[in-house]
Amino acid sequence: MSQFTVVQVPKAETIAIQVTAPNQVKLSGTITQKDPATDLAGFFKALHTAALADKLTEVRADVSGLTFVNSSAIRLFVDWATWVKNERGHRYTLRFITSRNVTWQKTSFMALMSLAKEVLAIEHVT
Amino acid sequence: MSSYDRNSERNSATPSSSSRLAVDSGSGASSRPRESTILTGRTLVRVICTAGSGALEYTHAFVTAYAADHLRAAVAQRLSVGAYELLSNALNFGSVSSDIVIELIESDNMVGVRVENDAIAARISMLTEHLLKLKTNAEQTFMEELRRSVTGGIPRPMLGLARVTHEVGLTLDLQVQERRIAVTAQCRR
Repeated sequence: MSQFTVVQVPKAETIAIQVTAPNQVKLSGTITQKDPATDLAGFFKALHTAALADKLTEVRADVSGLTFVNSSAIRLFVDWATWVKNERGHRYTLRFITSRNVTWQKTSFMALMSLAKEVLAIEHVT
Repeated sequence: MSSYDRNSERNSATPSSSSRLAVDSGSGASSRPRESTILTGRTLVRVICTAGSGALEYTHAFVTAYAADHLRAAVAQRLSVGAYELLSNALNFGSVSSDIVIELIESDNMVGVRVENDAIAARISMLTEHLLKLKTNAEQTFMEELRRSVTGGIPRPMLGLARVTHEVGLTLDLQVQERRIAVTAQCRR
């Protein structure tokens, strides 16, 4: 049984989260709360742990519908990439699906790519 | 192009009683010197708030919605990032007893968001120092702050203003009058 698809999705006011088999998580809305780690850090960690348990070769994180995130939320994506990068055994490619139409995503994910290019992939949708 | 007024030309992080510091965006803004001028014009909206639960989220949501309704989508998105990060800084680093004023301002060519608040001298120095780093190299500072956000460190990472200049390409302008500071993030309309 897939661990990834049974990860508990947190309830957050401004963000919609959907996990779909076998390896995709979709986030849309905005992340504006002062400390988004409260809701999301544990969730991302659980997805990471489940992806390792399922021996996934790729996780697709579709953030194209995230129209705004604060800098604390960007740190969460950096953390996720760092967990994968630091993994000694099996590791997967973390593929972010981003939108060309959302300004903040262009620079942030390119910068993130330069920090962990061996485990990240960026895909653009319009 | 970046500009200082005479009080700021000492290139020091020590704030004077009245000073100004401008940091252009990193994306070829040197060909647009007018962006470094102080933004004056019509106030589209002004919100006064105090520190408290939801102040950041609700004020930001209101300003973002207003900008989205009145400005081009791409400009509104950029100002939304600017509004959030400036307001967040004011709430995190400003004096809790003072009001925070956030305004959307437009002139014939420019539009911007300005946040005003009181702060103690040490905080103003820290802000000035950070802006000087951004003025030197916005992209490098952005990357440094992104790395520091993983490793932590002292002072704590200040990714917000780096996002404003590098990520969404807004020109930052700091004006200090005694303990009152006004930070403006602006771009072409």
